[in-house]
Amino acid sequence: MIFPPTSQVIIQGITEPLGMTYAPLMKAYGTHIVAGVSPGAGGGTVAGIPIYDMVEQIPAISRGISTTVICTHPYAALDAALEAIRAGIRQIILISQGIPPLDMVHLVRQAEATETLVVGPNGPGVIVPGQISLGIHPPDFYMPGNVGLITRNGPLTYEIARTLTRAGIGQSIGVSIGCDAIVGSTFPQWLQILEEDDQTEVIVLVGEIGGDSEERAAHYISEAIDKPVIAYIAGHTAPRNRRIGHAGAIIESRTFDFGPDIGTAESKVAAFKRAGVPVAERPSQIPDLVHKLLKRSPSNLQAS
Amino acid sequence: MDLLEYQAKELFRTVGIPVLPSQRIDRPKDLRNLTIPYPVVLKSQVYIGGRGRMGGVRFVENTIDAVAAAQTIFNLPIMGEYPKALLAEAKFDAVQEFYLAVTLNRSIRRPVLLGSCKGGMEVQSAIDQMQQVVVDGDFSPFYARQLALKMGLQGDLMNAVSAVIEKMYWLMDDKDLDLVEINPLAVDSAGQIMALDGKVTVNDGSLGRHPDLASLSESPIINPLDLQPELQMTMETDGTIGIICNGAGLTMATLDLVYQMGGKPLCFLNIGSETHHQWLPSTLCQRLEQGLARMGQQSQLKVILINLVGGIVSCQEIAQTLVQFLQAHTRNMRTYSRGQEESIVSRVVFTPQIIVRLVGKDYEAAKETLSGTSIVLLEDLDESIRELMSRVKRSKS
Repeated sequence: MIFPPTSQVIIQGITEPLGMTYAPLMKAYGTHIVAGVSPGAGGGTVAGIPIYDMVEQIPAISRGISTTVICTHPYAALDAALEAIRAGIRQIILISQGIPPLDMVHLVRQAEATETLVVGPNGPGVIVPGQISLGIHPPDFYMPGNVGLITRNGPLTYEIARTLTRAGIGQSIGVSIGCDAIVGSTFPQWLQILEEDDQTEVIVLVGEIGGDSEERAAHYISEAIDKPVIAYIAGHTAPRNRRIGHAGAIIESRTFDFGPDIGTAESKVAAFKRAGVPVAERPSQIPDLVHKLLKRSPSNLQAS
Repeated sequence: MDLLEYQAKELFRTVGIPVLPSQRIDRPKDLRNLTIPYPVVLKSQVYIGGRGRMGGVRFVENTIDAVAAAQTIFNLPIMGEYPKALLAEAKFDAVQEFYLAVTLNRSIRRPVLLGSCKGGMEVQSAIDQMQQVVVDGDFSPFYARQLALKMGLQGDLMNAVSAVIEKMYWLMDDKDLDLVEINPLAVDSAGQIMALDGKVTVNDGSLGRHPDLASLSESPIINPLDLQPELQMTMETDGTIGIICNGAGLTMATLDLVYQMGGKPLCFLNIGSETHHQWLPSTLCQRLEQGLARMGQQSQLKVILINLVGGIVSCQEIAQTLVQFLQAHTRNMRTYSRGQEESIVSRVVFTPQIIVRLVGKDYEAAKETLSGTSIVLLEDLDESIRELMSRVKRSKS
């Protein structure tokens, strides 16, 4: 997995309430948090984690820090991410909501140029059950296993992880790409990562209305993914053009390359069905669909 | 946040996009102090498009005509919206009209430049001829020239139009705009270009770092970033069910399940904000209390379903919040009944029934806490929806 348990991790914005709350929880899960960064708070500690004013001051930087979790004020997040990239960090988990879209455009360009993986913003980040927590996923709902769970929401992700866990199905990873309109990494990128991951046998993709991420994911699955995928889409009955919370969940077609129906639940379900991906009607149906696919998958046939 | 035309043009003027001399008119008598020579165009300043076809734009030759026309426009709603002001502008004789826009394509995560050689009121012909350039790397003026050439422009006109596109891009970049649109960008017989109309949409989440734009907002900015996002309840026209969840995805999934079982939600509320940088574990319970108070104002409501997948907030903390909420909504009432003395009873004055679905830490303790109350606690999502539906049916009979 691309997030090994030995990863050296820092938290930028560790003195924000969000950082203060989750730093001790990530540490308690076994994540190697080597430092926190918060301009002006250098010299202090949070939960025994030393704080520095800048990333470059962290002694461990010379041995290589792989990942940063960013909990800063949203207007400071781009700067924090660029500082991390400059210091050689190549995995960035953005938790904070409210990062301006043009800041994300700038960050996406920099990330592509430096081959940096950006997860989020406005999402709970990444958990590898039993190994490492990089964000705010509640670990109790997860257990180690072979389902790769990719979503673009928060508590609905935990709901589905818990549903799988209670059915005895563990997860190889839980990742939310984030709830905003412009995110650092996309469903196709994550499908490719899980396609190459040895731990993952089945992929569960949880989408929602708005934007065209699910349509693009469905297209990518039919082109490039051999592992079985199951999808679930939230928002079939959400009122059109009204805001529930996610900027990306507003159905709109202002730009000219969106057809009128792209973004609706019907369009997304149709796209997955065309790609041969079973779509669950409700979260509680997902474990049954996973069981069916696991029985059919070649590695299980060899084992039996 | 959308800007009015005159506000958009003030921005255009500051970055050197050519606009006509103009003057804002707040009441018809302002026209007596008009500094622009006649003939002038009077334009209704409304947020909605299509005012030209509805009589919101008039040409006038003198002050008497202008005052009369202004009175008419001030009293003319455009799709229900009355003008905030009028814009009096010099007249321009266009021989050609283009459409130009700069916006973000969320899907490819890049800004795009859009242009059509058929601008003006005929939107469909503009769309048919629409050209696009994706700003893949850091912006440089060559992207603007690419678009102008794709639009079929040549020579001096190509250079002049691409200079406008370049300024539109920098304006978007500098001010965190979601959209900058000029329709039409007009050309006169001398080859001079002019932005005759402008539409600018500011990114709401970025207003906090643009106080100059925030001050143009009609209402005070409701969501300063340092505070938790304000609760926004969504109302349907009909129904007896209220739904409170944390997170937009969970709210939508819960709504879907309720509709699948034949339920009719009257209103729903997403109280989640766990990725806010100021979030604390106590935030969820505070927002739950606020949310219940909001829903309590809906007299039509019979049952509220609360579905929280709180992660690190324990079931017990949420249960205690609910108990406190009901206690705060309990009143001592005098009751009189025949043959008996006056007595005082405590009654909960929060009328909707509450079903709460919680998972995670301290579920058993939460059960204990809620055991003496009217609140139903469940752990399974499907079961809680079934319970909701059976309560709704009972409340009807």
